[in-house]
Amino acid sequence: MTNLSILKRHLLGCVLTVAFMAMLPLFITQRYFLGEIILFMIWASVAIQWNVLLGHAGVFSLGQMLFFAIGAYAVGMLGVHLDWSPWFSMPVGAVVAALAALVIGLACLRLKTAYVALLTFAIVFMVDSLIRTEVECFTTVGGRCLPFFGGGQGFFGFDDLGFRSMLKGKWIVGNYYVVLGAFAFSLVASILVIHGRLGLAFRALGDSQIYAAARGLNRTRFHIIAFVITAFFTGLTGAVYAAHFRFAGPSLFEFSNLVFILAMIVVGGLKSTWGPVFGAVLMMILVEFAKGWGDIQNTLIGVVLIIFVLLLPRGLAGATATLRSKLMTDSGTQDNLHAARADPRGAEQ
Amino acid sequence: MSKQSSNLNASRREFIKRAGLGTVGGAAALGGIAAPAAAQNAEPVVVGGPAPLTGAIAADGIEFKQGMEMAAEEINEVGGILGRPIQLAFADSESGGDDKVTSAGQRLIDRDGASVLISGYNLGSGTALQNVAADASVIYLHADTNRAHTEMVSTDPERYWQSFMYCPSELYYGFAYLDFIKTLADSGQFVGSNKKIALVTGPIPYSINIANSIRDEAAKYGFEISLYETVEAPTSDWGPTLAKIREDEPGYIVITHFFPGDQAQFMKQFLTNPTNSLVYLQYGASLAAFRDIAQEAANDVLYATNIGVLSGEIGSDFASRYLAKFGDKASPNGGAQTYEALHMYAQAAAIAGGVGEAYDDVQNKRIADVLRKMIYRGPTGAIRFDQKPQQAFSFPVQTNDPSLGMAHIFSQIETYEENGKIISPPPYNVIDFRKPHWISE
Repeated sequence: MTNLSILKRHLLGCVLTVAFMAMLPLFITQRYFLGEIILFMIWASVAIQWNVLLGHAGVFSLGQMLFFAIGAYAVGMLGVHLDWSPWFSMPVGAVVAALAALVIGLACLRLKTAYVALLTFAIVFMVDSLIRTEVECFTTVGGRCLPFFGGGQGFFGFDDLGFRSMLKGKWIVGNYYVVLGAFAFSLVASILVIHGRLGLAFRALGDSQIYAAARGLNRTRFHIIAFVITAFFTGLTGAVYAAHFRFAGPSLFEFSNLVFILAMIVVGGLKSTWGPVFGAVLMMILVEFAKGWGDIQNTLIGVVLIIFVLLLPRGLAGATATLRSKLMTDSGTQDNLHAARADPRGAEQ
Repeated sequence: MSKQSSNLNASRREFIKRAGLGTVGGAAALGGIAAPAAAQNAEPVVVGGPAPLTGAIAADGIEFKQGMEMAAEEINEVGGILGRPIQLAFADSESGGDDKVTSAGQRLIDRDGASVLISGYNLGSGTALQNVAADASVIYLHADTNRAHTEMVSTDPERYWQSFMYCPSELYYGFAYLDFIKTLADSGQFVGSNKKIALVTGPIPYSINIANSIRDEAAKYGFEISLYETVEAPTSDWGPTLAKIREDEPGYIVITHFFPGDQAQFMKQFLTNPTNSLVYLQYGASLAAFRDIAQEAANDVLYATNIGVLSGEIGSDFASRYLAKFGDKASPNGGAQTYEALHMYAQAAAIAGGVGEAYDDVQNKRIADVLRKMIYRGPTGAIRFDQKPQQAFSFPVQTNDPSLGMAHIFSQIETYEENGKIISPPPYNVIDFRKPHWISE
C-alpha cells in the first residue's frame, strides 16, 4: 500500500466522519446532547493536536491548554475590550496562539523530554497565576472592575456567533456547525501532518536522531514547526470554545482539563491517527454515565487511565490493530501482517 | 414565660412550619388552591438544582441540595404546587468553570425536564446559567452574590427577565466591613493597634471584588491598606502570607478568599504566632465545615454574610429543624438559601396559576412578574427584588427597614461547637462583640 493511498484512506475516513457528524443535528434535537457533542468535538480537536505533538513529533509538552486558552482569551479580550465579533477574533486567536508557540518553542524546544514538560508546565502555571492574581482595574464595566486579562473572573457576555437572532431556539445548531468546521479543519490538518512529509521527518527523528541529522533533519526546527502548527489549531479550537460559551477565564487552565484530555489520548492510543477521536468518544461517554456519581467520576477516569496504561498501552487503536493482526494470522494473510507490523500507521486503518 | 405565652409561641412555630416559612398565605397559595387543581394535572414538577456537588466548594453544594430536599418535602406535604408534587433533579457543576456550569443547567432542562433552575451559587463567571435560563425561558433563582448578574440583567432585561439573584451583590461587603470596624472603634468596643488592614483575596471574582471595594474605600474611613495579597485556590500553606502579615503587623486582617477549608487552615497557622489583629473571614467561616476543620482555632473569628440564617423565630426554627434532619455537622446558612428560594418559587408559581415548562415563556413570564412583586420572609431575611437588576435589596445598606431587605449580618464564633452568633445589625444581633482571645493589648 503506498503512502498516497494511506493518506487518501484517512482523508476519506475524515470526510465520512464529518459527514456523519454533520447529519447528527437532523436526528438529535435536544440542546443538551448537541451541547455535549460540541464539547466532544472541542476536546477531541485538542486531543488530536496534542497527539500529533506528543505522539508523532515526540515533543513532551504540557502547554497545550495554554494555547487553547490563548485562542479563547483572544476572542474574550477582543470582544470585551474592542467589541469585536468572534468571527473576526477567532482567526486572530489561532494566529496569536501560533506566535506564542513560536516564542515558547524557541525557548523550550532545545531541551528534551521531561525538561520540555517541566518548562511548558511552568509557563502555563505562571500565566495562570498572573491572570488569576491580576487585580488592577483596566476598565470598569457596570461598577465591576475588569482587569486587562480579566483576572479571576475572565471575560464573558461578549457577542455570540449571531445564531441566536438568526435561528432563534435552534441557535445551537449554528454553533454546532461552526465547531464541526473547526474540528474538521483540525482533523484534516493532523492527517496531512502525520501522513505527509512532516510526519515522515518526525518518524525519522523518532527512529534515530543522529541518522536523521546526518540526512539534514534539524530536530529543534521540526519540533518548533510541530509546536507552532498544533498550537494554531489548538488556539483555533479555544477560540471556537469561547465563541460558543461566550466565556474565557482561568478555569481553562485547570489541571483536571489537562488530565481529561491526556486520558483521551492514552485511551485512544498515542501515536495513532484516529485514537484521540475514539478516546474522546469513550471518555465523554464514560463521564456522561458517571455524572451524578460525585467524586467517583474523577476516580473512574484515573482507573481507566491505569487500566489502559497497564493492559492496553497502545490504546483502542493499538488494540484494534492487534485484533486485526490476529485475525489476519488466523486467515493466513501473512503478507498483510508483515505490512501492518512494518508500518504502524497502516495497522490502525 | 407564662404557660399561655409558651403555648402561643408553640402555635406560632407550628404555623411557621406548616406555612413552609413564615410567609402569610404561603400554605394557602400552595395547599389551599392545590385541591381543585390536583384533579387537572398531577404530573410532578421537576425542579433542577445545578450545584457544585464535588470539588472545592462541595461543602456548600451539599447544603444547597439538602435545603432543596427539605423545602420540597414541606411543599409536597401541603399538596405540592397546585396539586403537582415537586420532584428534584440535581446536576453537578463540579465547582468548575462555565462549560461545566452550562452543561449542568442544560442537562437539567433537556434530560430531566426541569421547569425551573434553583441554585445557591456556582463558580465560573456567574453568568452561564443566566444564559441557559434565557435560552430555555425557565425561571432561574440563584445566590451567586455577583455584580455580573446586576450588570447583565439591568442592561438586557428583555433577554434576562427570568433570572433572579435572591441576595444582594458582593460589592456591599466592602464598605459594610469598613463601616463595621469604624463603628467598633467609635463605640469603644474595639480599637485596633493601628489603622492598617492586611487584605488577602483569592482568585474568585467574588473575593476580588470585595477586596477591591475595601481597598478603594479604606482611606475614606480612615484606614490604610498595608498588604494586598492574592492567594491561589485552594490554599493550605499560608506561611508566605503570614510572614508578610507578621513583618508589618496590621490592626485588622481581612481574608476575602472564602473557601472554608482554606480559612480554617489560615486560622490554625495564624494562631501559632498570632499578631494583635482583628481577623475577619469572608463567608466561609459561616459554614460548619470551617468550624469542623479549625476546631478551637475558629473561636472568636468574625465573619459576614448577606444571606445567613437570622436570629428570631423563623431563622431559629429553620436552623433547629435543619440540624435535626441533617445532623449537627450540617450548615443551616448554606441550606437556607435554596430552601427559601424553592419555597419562594413554589408560591410565585401557585399565585401565577401554575408552573411553566421549559421554553414556555408565557407562563414563566407570569411567574417572573409575581416574583418581582413578592416580599418573601425566609430564614435569611426578607427577599424583595430591586426591579431593574432583579437582585434582592440589602438591609441596612439599601434600606433601613429590616422587613424589606436581606440582612447584611456580622457574626462572631463564640465556640467552634456552635454556629457563629450575630453581633450586628440590630434587630438581629444576639450577642455583643468580644475581643478575640489572641489579642493581648
